[in-house]
Amino acid sequence: MNNHQFVLPGSYKKWTLILLIVGLLTIVYGFFAFDATAHGGHGQNVAATRFWAVLLQNSVYWLLLVNASMFFICVTTMAMGGWQVALRRVPEAISSVVPILGLITFIILLCIVLGHRTDIYHWLDAEAVAHDKILKAKSAFLSPGFYITWSAISIVLWSLLGRKMRKLSLDTDKNGTMDYETGKAWIWKNTVWASLYTVFFGLTVASTIPWIWLMSIDPHWYSTMYSWYVFASTFVASMSLIAIYIIYLRSKGQLEYVTDEHLHDIGKFMFAFSVFWTYLWFSQYMLIWYSNQPEETRYFVDRIGTAEKSGPFHGIFFLNLALNFLGPLLILMKKATKKSWTVVTLTAVMIIFGHWIDVFQMVMPGTLHEHAELGFFEFGSAAFFIGVIMWGVGRYITKNSLVPKNHPFMKESMIHHT
Amino acid sequence: MSLLKYESQQREPLVDGDKNYHQVTEDIIGPIELKPTRLWYIGFWISVALLLFGVYSIYREVTYGIGQWNLNKTIGWGWDITNFVWWVGIGHAGTLISAILLLFRQGWRTGVNRAAEAMTIFAVMCAGQFPIWHMGRVWMAFFVLPYANTRGPLWVNFNSPLLWDVFAISTYFTVSLLFWYSGLLPDFATVRDRAKTKLRKLLYGIAAFGWTGSTKHWQRHESLSLVLAGLSTPLVLSVHTIVSFDFATSVIPGWHTTIFPPYFVAGAIFSGFAMVQTLLIVVRKVMNLQDYITMGHIEAMNKVIVLTGSIVGCAYLTELFIGAYYSQNLYEMYVFQENRANIFSPYGWSYWLMMFCNVVSPQLFWSRKLRRNIAVTFFMSIIVNIGMWYERFVIIVTSVYRDFLPSSWSTYYSPSIYEIGFYLGTFGLFFTCFFLFAKYFPVIALAEIKSILKTSGENYKAKMTDIERADAEKFYIEEVEHAH
Repeated sequence: MNNHQFVLPGSYKKWTLILLIVGLLTIVYGFFAFDATAHGGHGQNVAATRFWAVLLQNSVYWLLLVNASMFFICVTTMAMGGWQVALRRVPEAISSVVPILGLITFIILLCIVLGHRTDIYHWLDAEAVAHDKILKAKSAFLSPGFYITWSAISIVLWSLLGRKMRKLSLDTDKNGTMDYETGKAWIWKNTVWASLYTVFFGLTVASTIPWIWLMSIDPHWYSTMYSWYVFASTFVASMSLIAIYIIYLRSKGQLEYVTDEHLHDIGKFMFAFSVFWTYLWFSQYMLIWYSNQPEETRYFVDRIGTAEKSGPFHGIFFLNLALNFLGPLLILMKKATKKSWTVVTLTAVMIIFGHWIDVFQMVMPGTLHEHAELGFFEFGSAAFFIGVIMWGVGRYITKNSLVPKNHPFMKESMIHHT
Repeated sequence: MSLLKYESQQREPLVDGDKNYHQVTEDIIGPIELKPTRLWYIGFWISVALLLFGVYSIYREVTYGIGQWNLNKTIGWGWDITNFVWWVGIGHAGTLISAILLLFRQGWRTGVNRAAEAMTIFAVMCAGQFPIWHMGRVWMAFFVLPYANTRGPLWVNFNSPLLWDVFAISTYFTVSLLFWYSGLLPDFATVRDRAKTKLRKLLYGIAAFGWTGSTKHWQRHESLSLVLAGLSTPLVLSVHTIVSFDFATSVIPGWHTTIFPPYFVAGAIFSGFAMVQTLLIVVRKVMNLQDYITMGHIEAMNKVIVLTGSIVGCAYLTELFIGAYYSQNLYEMYVFQENRANIFSPYGWSYWLMMFCNVVSPQLFWSRKLRRNIAVTFFMSIIVNIGMWYERFVIIVTSVYRDFLPSSWSTYYSPSIYEIGFYLGTFGLFFTCFFLFAKYFPVIALAEIKSILKTSGENYKAKMTDIERADAEKFYIEEVEHAH
């Protein structure tokens, strides 16, 4: 019996550091080289637009991704799930990055809004809004005041409620096995906090937050499906990150009670939610295509173009479907592949990259138009955010035990087989 | 992998009382072997009477035409399509329970799946009536099938979501029926083996398809279940998705909205579970099955109701916010602000009734006490189904009754007696089938209950106290590693 205290291997620290440094250098370089403070008119200072658009894409994507792992904990808690207990510390560790990534994201959003980046959010342009009947009518919602307040409340509450859930879990390590009554009270308390988180998650991630952070980039366009689509995108990426960490920690001899059976179930989640994402993708696309109303189809015309003229995001648009639907569907269909460490790792990387591309195609067409690039700056910025996540997760898994051994459902999880 | 039968005592038992396999058989098969009670006859004949009224209403409609209904050129879909969508929605719980909850390994499904699947099949049968009889010239109904045809160049319109409905619903019905029936085989065999009369033995023998309970049979039965579960899971989503396409592919404000597919599915599950509650609360009492359909089962279903009700609520508010405000589209805003949210508009009341029944009232189930209260649950299950009927009414009628051309506005639509009669007739069909099912079929999946008895039965769980108290890591070394 070991004490489940994990010591970070040198290679993990080294890579975290490399990613952080490369990322920081890229962003600092970009800040000066792209003249990031240059006024964000339309079509002028494209480089500055690129700087902010890329930071917006990355911060929103990675923040919603790590936040979704707390959603996973909360829904399994509310559903009285037992199987996932043995691996529960992994999503906990990932969600522990929410406060720091939230802060970074908030700073970026503040810079965009207070810096009047009208190239990112057209609705920030007071003069344009004054002459635009539609934008004027909804300026109470698309306004710096509401944007900043609601973003701040959301990030703070995700962080606090998530912290409470993690604390409840870590507290069990201090005491021994719970008797029936203590266990019951503890499960109850968990359920209450998980419900609060989930309800708030519904009010933010499943509705308002994607509207203001992403959908308002194309401020005249709207789709009621949008937020659920963003949720599906980030949730499946989060499940993939959980899978990667499980495999990594298993390969280091940790998580001794997590078997391939548990990995199989995580693989099922990756498969199921890839299909679910596709379902939402298809529903949104097909309905807009079918009814063919110009104010709605514009969104897709900006991406794929028309029959006569292919759009600048034509390739990205189909790459999105290949990476996030065809790939996971064909690869993860079989039981054997969901249990294979190599296959799951590669597929998980593909899914995380795929949904990064998905958010890329949500942000870029409305901001950079045909000037969007996938170059060193895009990947370098992503490296920074990945570095932050690795640092935060590394900190959590070395500070805390990886086995919630006193969880009332731990024994169920130990004998779990599918 | 451990072969140990263990489940945390924190989970409520799924079978109450001191039960063994024989006792389970007695409890579940026993009622089938008795003569029907007086109450059963009363209920059955009331249902048949309603069914006959429905048949007469359909006779009027077929003989004299759609004019027997109060539809007009503005409100071309009224009660008929509302009822169609309502019944299809109800027909979602059964397959969700048998397929998706099977994949999620929810043990409590075993207590309720049989009745829920039966309900699903009957509900889909009722739903199918509406589009079929709405065709007017029903003798041409086969025209919806795209067979290699003798009609020259006349093909069905593959672009129409109404045609997709034909495929989706018939596939769903077929797979649900197969799923339900294959699950019944071992139970029919049990009834056959216990039969005292020759006729009984013969009939249940035929129904059991020669099931002997050999290992081979079980093996094939289990792989079939898994295959059907895999097939049914996308079907649960596809049917109501396509029903939502009937509206959402159009350009009609109030119908054309991208959130429709997942929100219709959530609403369908919501209403389906409400109907399961309505039926099972009566069944468990009348047939004395409280040990199998426990408070835990009712609570679990109420949790599904509060979950799906809240998802539906999230969708309603999204639609309202985007439609009435964010879109700044004149027509969308008119539908949401005037035709719906304005309580003083001709149908405003129906919008708020829907909001109250589907979004506000299910929030009661955040309270554990209310989730476990039979009277509240029963009452709520009715409220939810009224609300879900109104949801479809709101969508169908309030989106079109004041259309683009004010001269064709039709602010008053009320159903004729034959529209009502047709609807009541489907209740007759539904309950006639359900009464027959409850009398002649094992209403609980006997074989499945037996499969969970030793992990989730009250008496077995009581013996697990030692494991429950053990330290997790010691438990692992003793029970799991040694087992290898």
